[in-house]
Amino acid sequence: MQLPTRGYILLLSLLLAACPLPKPTPVPGSELVIEGRRLFFEQIFNGNGRTCGTCHPASNNLTIDPAFIATLPDDNPLFVANTTSELGPNFENNTLIRKVGLILENQDGFDDLDNNLNMRGVPHTLGLTLSVDSPEGPQLGWSGDGSPGDASVRSFATGAVIQHFTKSLNRVPDVDFRLPTDEELDALEAFQLALGRQEELELPLSFTNVIAARGQEIFNSPTEGKCFACHFNAGANGAPQVFGPEAGNRNFNTGVEDLPDQPADLLEERNPPDDGRGTPGEGEFNTPSLVEAADTGPFFHNNSVETVEGAVAFYNGNAFNDSPAGQLLVNATGSGINLDATQVVAVAAFMRAINALENVRQSIEMLQAKVDNTILPHEDFDQLLDRAVDEIEDAISVLAGGGLYPQAVDHILEARHLTLEASKRSRPAKLAGRAITELERARDLIVESP
Amino acid sequence: MLKRLALVGLILSSIVICPSHGQKATEIFIPIGKSPGVSGKYSVIGTIASFDETTRVLTIKVEDAEHTVTITEETKIWLDKSGIQQTNEIGSPADCRQGRLCEMKYVYDGKTRTDKAEWLKIRVGDSD
Repeated sequence: MQLPTRGYILLLSLLLAACPLPKPTPVPGSELVIEGRRLFFEQIFNGNGRTCGTCHPASNNLTIDPAFIATLPDDNPLFVANTTSELGPNFENNTLIRKVGLILENQDGFDDLDNNLNMRGVPHTLGLTLSVDSPEGPQLGWSGDGSPGDASVRSFATGAVIQHFTKSLNRVPDVDFRLPTDEELDALEAFQLALGRQEELELPLSFTNVIAARGQEIFNSPTEGKCFACHFNAGANGAPQVFGPEAGNRNFNTGVEDLPDQPADLLEERNPPDDGRGTPGEGEFNTPSLVEAADTGPFFHNNSVETVEGAVAFYNGNAFNDSPAGQLLVNATGSGINLDATQVVAVAAFMRAINALENVRQSIEMLQAKVDNTILPHEDFDQLLDRAVDEIEDAISVLAGGGLYPQAVDHILEARHLTLEASKRSRPAKLAGRAITELERARDLIVESP
Repeated sequence: MLKRLALVGLILSSIVICPSHGQKATEIFIPIGKSPGVSGKYSVIGTIASFDETTRVLTIKVEDAEHTVTITEETKIWLDKSGIQQTNEIGSPADCRQGRLCEMKYVYDGKTRTDKAEWLKIRVGDSD
């Protein structure tokens, strides 16, 4: 008896659904990035159990904050100082990790561990190709001097292992940890440089929301926000028209250390003043990119400000306007930064919008890789849909947190639903493709295409 | 307004420009020959031939060649005790003893090498 045509089609579909997908296609030349990713999230360098991913988890934009830290079990290596007597309070402060997201750094030396320390937030590692170069060489870490050796991104892991991976405060190589090999440094560098944006924004963008659009105007205004001077195109580099064609990433004393009522101080924990770049320092700290800011708070080197609105408002206050950088601005322009509440919100709305656009971009990239069954070397292929959900949820949180673009948020919510459904399927391409369509619709509602 | 801001930029540039100096803090724990991107490129590894306490000139012998450098007040001196599995320590010019293995990184002014030492690592062991 012959099956009817429909039956053949159904049988074929069932057979296809049952067949495993072919292995994803690797991109030629991506092996170094893939190895770097493995090292970043798995290699403990014979140390205390931490990996780079302990403080730079992929699911949290490669940084940690109190909300994320609260989800970690007590035996997570982030809390290794609690369980290892050879480490203790001169390695990490458990209260400041959990309540403020601060980790301990000895950037001024290891000769007096009781006093020579500073508590700093964990910078994300997104968009490094765009944010570390300067005429003075690479600028890494919160004070721009975070890397040993030749001060490069490549060498950074060596310093990180010594500071954060050690089994004891003796910090003896091949006893308390092992140093990364040259090959490992090459791979880690390749991976880190592959993370996040690879291109700068080109402002102005045509925001459909009048508040975000106004915020962009204020941001780029030399008389109002003046933000563009140090954050050209909302990145980490100085504006060429202010600092010259090779402006690059810079360090400034903006007075953050002079803020009153810093969370770490209110907790009455050991929190010595941080003098920033150099030993002794002059209070200069590194300029981060703002595209990634809205979903990577708290803000500034000491996590002293929780919200993006608060971070913008900082520049209105005495701490900034009395700082060396603030005073130069006053002398040069006749006034400090003096934004009213609605203007602060507008600039923050602009920062939320550009961050959401970046979240959308990243999630589309991950979903497209699933559709095409290709490997993104800086992402685990099997985790792509989960990672896409991470970015999608960030976009939702960032926009909804500012009361922005409700229609776009609806589309992003639908994208989230579709992605979650896709993650349950053995062949997720179709649903992933529909999620991309929803994200593209959301993007078109946020900003008009050129 | 932009011209005035450009002036700000020039002033700030003059303040912040200084040689990139990395995080010397963890450098103390990096054994001789292992400084990433530095060892074998911007440093010299050899044995101490002599140290003049008056002129503070250090002479390092590398195979048949000699390299001289000035140990300034800013030069970081570290004792590399990793070979005996002890914690590396801050040293002093007094530790510049003849025959000791050392690695010295020059101070660079931009891309120009000076005759000053940025840091000096001296290998010490149980017999020292």
